[in-house]
Amino acid sequence: MKPFTRWLASVAGAAALGLGGAAQAEKEPIKFALLQDFTAVYTFVTNEYHQGQRDYLRFVNETGGVEGHMIETIVRDTANEPQRGLEAYNRARREGAVLVDFFSTPVSRAAVNRVLDDEVVMITALHGRGDASEGETFPFIFPMMATYWSQSTVLADYIDQHQGGLEGKRIALVHIDSPFGREPMPILKDLAEKKGFDLRAFAYPSPGTEQSATWSDVRRYRPDHVIIWGAGGGQQVSVREAIRNGIRQENILSVVWLAETDARNVGGNHLKGVKRFEAVGTGTDHAVIQDIMEHVIEPGHGQGSASNVGTTYYNIGVATMAVAVEAARLAMQEFGAPLTGEKLRDGFRMIENFDARGMMPPITITADDHQGGGYGRVSAWNGEAWEPLTDWYSAHQDIVWEEIEKDAAGFREGR
Amino acid sequence: MFYRLSGIKHTRYASSRALWPVTADRRIMQVLVALALLAPFFLSDLYLTSYMLPWLIWTAAALSLTLLMGMAGQLHFGFAAVLAIGAYTSIHLTRAGVPFEFALLGAGLMSAFIGVIFGAAALRVKGLYLVMATLAMQYLVEWVIINVPAISGGAQATLSTPDVTFLFVPLQSDASLYYMALLWTVVVTLLLLNIKRTSFGRALVAVRDKDFAAAVIGVDPVKYKLLAFFAASFLGGVTGAILAFCYYQAVTPEQFGFNVSIQLVAMVLVGGLGSVIGAYLGAGFVLLLPIVLTNVLAFVASYEWMPISFNLIAHIPLMVYGALIIGVLLYEPLGLAKIYDNLRKYFVVWPFRHTQS
Repeated sequence: MKPFTRWLASVAGAAALGLGGAAQAEKEPIKFALLQDFTAVYTFVTNEYHQGQRDYLRFVNETGGVEGHMIETIVRDTANEPQRGLEAYNRARREGAVLVDFFSTPVSRAAVNRVLDDEVVMITALHGRGDASEGETFPFIFPMMATYWSQSTVLADYIDQHQGGLEGKRIALVHIDSPFGREPMPILKDLAEKKGFDLRAFAYPSPGTEQSATWSDVRRYRPDHVIIWGAGGGQQVSVREAIRNGIRQENILSVVWLAETDARNVGGNHLKGVKRFEAVGTGTDHAVIQDIMEHVIEPGHGQGSASNVGTTYYNIGVATMAVAVEAARLAMQEFGAPLTGEKLRDGFRMIENFDARGMMPPITITADDHQGGGYGRVSAWNGEAWEPLTDWYSAHQDIVWEEIEKDAAGFREGR
Repeated sequence: MFYRLSGIKHTRYASSRALWPVTADRRIMQVLVALALLAPFFLSDLYLTSYMLPWLIWTAAALSLTLLMGMAGQLHFGFAAVLAIGAYTSIHLTRAGVPFEFALLGAGLMSAFIGVIFGAAALRVKGLYLVMATLAMQYLVEWVIINVPAISGGAQATLSTPDVTFLFVPLQSDASLYYMALLWTVVVTLLLLNIKRTSFGRALVAVRDKDFAAAVIGVDPVKYKLLAFFAASFLGGVTGAILAFCYYQAVTPEQFGFNVSIQLVAMVLVGGLGSVIGAYLGAGFVLLLPIVLTNVLAFVASYEWMPISFNLIAHIPLMVYGALIIGVLLYEPLGLAKIYDNLRKYFVVWPFRHTQS
């Protein structure tokens, strides 16, 4: 096999040389591997997210690339299966990918040890290990947005500041029965002790299409506020069940996974007043999205339906690539081409107060802190769109970092 | 012509009862074993770690399930849970300082113990009802792992495998992990090939075909059903440990979900129920074909002959894969093993059409 591939490569190389002589000598492209789940679990979430990523990269290429280098994408479906993700990752690494985004918790968790050994940057925005924010232990992994722990503190702090304080309140955490659903528990428990509120967790079985038994328990607990913690179809069921069990919309707060599509599916004005954590601004009136509209969507280069542009997950996808491209730019300016995983890592660590021209909170990534500060805001559905209620802020990062340090230490010991 | 059967007369029991009595079959096996042993030297690390390694390990898992479903006729739709018990047991044992060799044994025993408890349901129910009982095992084991942080490994629910040695060989390099998996798969393969010829194997087949008829001829169905669950779960548990240490290197509950159980059942069925070579072919089909299809399609799409959205590109392999499964089952209900068997029979008498027997 090896000699054959070498032969193939040499033939391809010779052909490329021949063509390159005729055409203008181009700068070596930068390769990003977007190996995501398009077919199994995340469905429309991945589609919108991926569309945002691709459209942004297209915009970067249309406007001259990164220091003249075009960005190439390697796209594969992993169906959320670790073994398929690892195969796609190994292949992409051989093709020279310097960055990989699985957008799938099981796959990225299985890849952690490998990217650390291979020195390939893995971005884990809104998925993967929360403790990867600890840059010393996980040098090549960048969560780069608020982890689930930071999201829970932002939500709790919102109740504390804007909904009559936390003390003496009853807070119900209604979550999917999976590691992801249980993730905020330690943080919220610490907060409950510190702030003196009563916390109870209610789990519903995966995948969350049937939750009625759980919610009748929640009703008996008579919570003041409900934090719902799920993803995909389960979120709509949670909101519907909460309303049916007499919980008012404004007292329902959600993890980041609640978007326009969910509002449409819940129907009518039922979702009005429901709050959620927001990592990246929504809508099309951001400078970045306007540029994408002008350079990519209007000339017809868009990767999917134009109606998705500006949706929650689309914008999150744009934001991840905006940060990655910024990191690549910084790395190229500092260290020059060709870009390697190590240079790109250092590029990420040079990011300071980057907010994608106002679309996201200003993040600063350092060698220690790969989370970027844990910023977010709370927004509410007003019947037509998600309307921000607060400015960008972060809360109780001391508690979050205690948990990060603890888990990262566990990872170091176990390895 | 290829197999050269004429004139071969077995004059000793030993030669006629050999695993491969025909010389040509033996030669094929020798070539395959040699290829497998030399794979790290001629395969690139991509094909070694992403194709051969998972294929071998999943084959071992499918073989374990073949023992239960194919030979003993007991349906099991929760076999991923058996793998999970093995994986978690071995990690916790090695973390506690137990040598890897004993951790493998412990993983097998723990899986066998819990597997037998759920297998006991097989004493009362059969067929679809047994499927339900084993499904219960899948969900219960998953639930326990997720809800007991001491097992799953805290808030991240991820446990990395510690560095271990097997018989003084450190299991770190790609080649050593590959040889470990190869060793285990070969052991399971030889075990299954031989079980088929022992009184134990024949008793399992008797229980599979009609359990009360087996009781009439003096085979105790209670004993043999439990033994089948014990043996298959033991093999499954060790395979789970191998899967964790040689391939994933970090385990999370999602790696052993219900879909993995279904995949394992599909491997056994598509490969051919009860066939050893079928487990190899079935594992390759279910595990590797989607990957190959995805890559072929991505390669074709890279020429941009026509504009296709990334979403459609991702879904076409699913359609092709589905069509292939239906095709295999329609064309050859006995699975891929039967296709191999037909080919072999054809070449045994080639260039003639029929054999004398």
